[in-house]
Amino acid sequence: MNIEQLKTDVLILGTGGAGLFAALHAHKANPDLDISIVSKGLLGKCGCTRMVQGGYNVALNPGDSVERHFMDTIEGGKWLPHQALAWTLVTTAIERVHELENEIGCFFDRNPDGTLHGKAFAGQTFDRTVHKGDLTGIEIVNRLMEQVWARPSIRRLEEHRAVALVPAKDGTLAGALLIDVRSGAFRFVAAQAVLLATGGGPTMYRYHTPSGDKSMDGLAMALRLGLPLRDMEMVQFHPTGLLAGTDTRMTGTVLEEGLRGAGGHLLNGALHRFMADYDERLERATRDVVSRALDAEMRAGRTTPNGGVYIKMSHLGPAKVAKEFKGMVERCRDCGFDLAGGLVEVVPTAHYFMGGVMCGVDTATDCSGLFVAGEDASGMHGANRLGGNGVANSTVFGGIAGDVMPRWIADNRPGHRAPDAEALDAEVQRALHPFARKPGDLNALREKLLDTMWDDVGVVRDRAGLERGAAALDQIEAELLSMGVADTDRRFNLTWNDWLNLRSLVDISRVIALAAGKRENSRGAHFRTDFPEPGDFATSTFTVARQREGRLEIGEQPVAFTHVRPGESLVRDRAAAE
Amino acid sequence: MPEASSQLAVSLWRGGEDGRYQTYGVPRRDNQTVLDVVTYVQRHIDPTLSYRFACRVGMCGSCAMTVNGRPRWTCRTHVAKVARSDRLEIGPLENLPVIKDLATDMQPFFEKWQQAKGVFAPSATRRDAIAQIQPDSPARIAADAGIECINCGVCYAACDTVRWNADYLGPAALNRAWTLFNDARDAGNSARMAAVAASGGCHSCHSHQSCQEHCPLSLNPTASIAGLKRRTALAYLKGELKA
Repeated sequence: MNIEQLKTDVLILGTGGAGLFAALHAHKANPDLDISIVSKGLLGKCGCTRMVQGGYNVALNPGDSVERHFMDTIEGGKWLPHQALAWTLVTTAIERVHELENEIGCFFDRNPDGTLHGKAFAGQTFDRTVHKGDLTGIEIVNRLMEQVWARPSIRRLEEHRAVALVPAKDGTLAGALLIDVRSGAFRFVAAQAVLLATGGGPTMYRYHTPSGDKSMDGLAMALRLGLPLRDMEMVQFHPTGLLAGTDTRMTGTVLEEGLRGAGGHLLNGALHRFMADYDERLERATRDVVSRALDAEMRAGRTTPNGGVYIKMSHLGPAKVAKEFKGMVERCRDCGFDLAGGLVEVVPTAHYFMGGVMCGVDTATDCSGLFVAGEDASGMHGANRLGGNGVANSTVFGGIAGDVMPRWIADNRPGHRAPDAEALDAEVQRALHPFARKPGDLNALREKLLDTMWDDVGVVRDRAGLERGAAALDQIEAELLSMGVADTDRRFNLTWNDWLNLRSLVDISRVIALAAGKRENSRGAHFRTDFPEPGDFATSTFTVARQREGRLEIGEQPVAFTHVRPGESLVRDRAAAE
Repeated sequence: MPEASSQLAVSLWRGGEDGRYQTYGVPRRDNQTVLDVVTYVQRHIDPTLSYRFACRVGMCGSCAMTVNGRPRWTCRTHVAKVARSDRLEIGPLENLPVIKDLATDMQPFFEKWQQAKGVFAPSATRRDAIAQIQPDSPARIAADAGIECINCGVCYAACDTVRWNADYLGPAALNRAWTLFNDARDAGNSARMAAVAASGGCHSCHSHQSCQEHCPLSLNPTASIAGLKRRTALAYLKGELKA
């Protein structure tokens, strides 16, 4: 097959916080480099950095410290984080926030004295979350995309989806195979260095928060390339996603944490305030505890008409709620719900994926020429991500990747390697697979996947469910591979894209199910009823999944306590802070 | 599960600039948005239907379309609000080239954003302290008034001046320029002043106010443009800007 070929020096897959930062840093490091940035949708408009509501964790206040931010991250992650990555995250966040304000132009909210305001966020011992109202991500990505638009030498490949990382004969990375969504044509981009920054996003669950373009493409590509993936059982659920019923895209999107913090009540279908049955902190218990309580109510059938529970705010005074949670109230109102004065149906919803490609503090992976940042990378958060550490992660490591790749090219002079023709052809055929088959009900199959993951690999897990889930995934994959898409018009063909999305989701769902079976304890986001205890922290291990010769292997490696050991702290005046 | 109570007759634009409307029957649901209606057609009736969306909740500004004659975000528009006697007509945004069906090419919109110097020009580096800005200072309040624009293109599609004058920068780009004029940290105002005062800039606006009437976030680009008009007029008088 004749495929259009393009050459670039640095190829960046993704235009969230990681991809945009990488482009700007690489351009600054060497303006002569040819840089291309690929977006599945419009530049800066898809992906999840933009959807950040809360803010950006950074230890700026003299009363705070990077050690304190680090300890919150390690303890929040239940001692599973890669400590050098977490340390890089918390220390570099300081420079990155200065860069966002002073060079990129983000205009964060201020204290009355004019300094940056840090708000309180769950699981943290200091109010360190820098923000712009409750729409921090929009401010960050809008300003970043303007800066990228202002540098026309950065080539923008919008509405191009990456379908494969293609090796050269020698096993190094040659480049990436893309589909130009608008034309439906393939395009191979040969690059000296590639950054994988497509974002994770656990959209294989019945209820999920990430944007609709997210489908784990990055991790599916990395898995096929044979890269080791870490912490793949770790899916973070947010307890309050909006529930709007059948065929509604709005379902699953987040109703913010602050609603519970402010005193919102959760009621089951019988209008009983059920949190007292689970935890003495009631609705203010942590995300994982509240999610499990909702899950239990739902499994017991004590549900609302659409199968969730209610959130009730009206007892706080509808006018006050409408003022304090303006964005959430308007969002609900636009969809027909009265958050300030009525009852709104909610469900736990899959929010963030802690698992991803293993990498070093310089974002390098095991594959020469491939770098990774953002939600496609792993190790920074361990078993749980703190609210406010997600955007810090993508911007910190995206920037580092942008610094490192030009230097790596200069030091290694890899040049452009020819793609392994056989591998390239196989990937093209893989993407064309549905066109040779009879069309079927793709959305029904997608819903089957979502239900399987929700019921058997979801908020609460056990051996039998995980095995059932893994078996169902095999069947779903077989059905997908026999189901086609009509080959009448490949231009802007969302159904072809839905098929490709589903294939990526099935591939990664299987890894999640198997990694969840491997972890026989309960830590952070991962809860097993058959192994409810967290296990010994001092001998903590993390899971590593990789595909060899088409077979998936799940192993374990000990966590290296390079900076701090369980039971210790880097914060000296710990007592004073609490 | 609540059952569909009735059927919507939905006319969707199919094809490019020279396309036409085609009608589909879509079951009505209690909590349905216009995006859900479009999605239903793609998933269940015609898999080749093209449209654009991403975040699903009014944060990304990807899914704006013309709904019964008005530009709107489709993800946050409840069908009950817009369907007249169970009929919907959905087309691509106006004033932008059509790629296919309901998806437009937003490139001209973002090019004009850049032409208006809608990008922060730094006056400090990452090694400097972060500027102390009083939250209640008039400039900060003026900057905040327009800063939350998500560049969805609704105002641009609603603007008569954009329709008549291909060079007009449009409400969103000028609103961003005004936000930056009020940003005490920005060092780009002399170039920005020239850009917005030039032909096709703020003085092309006829104050029809369609932008503020249609903005899904209730921002007021007309007021921002009025600010630019005052600022540039003052600059002429002071001789800082040549006519």
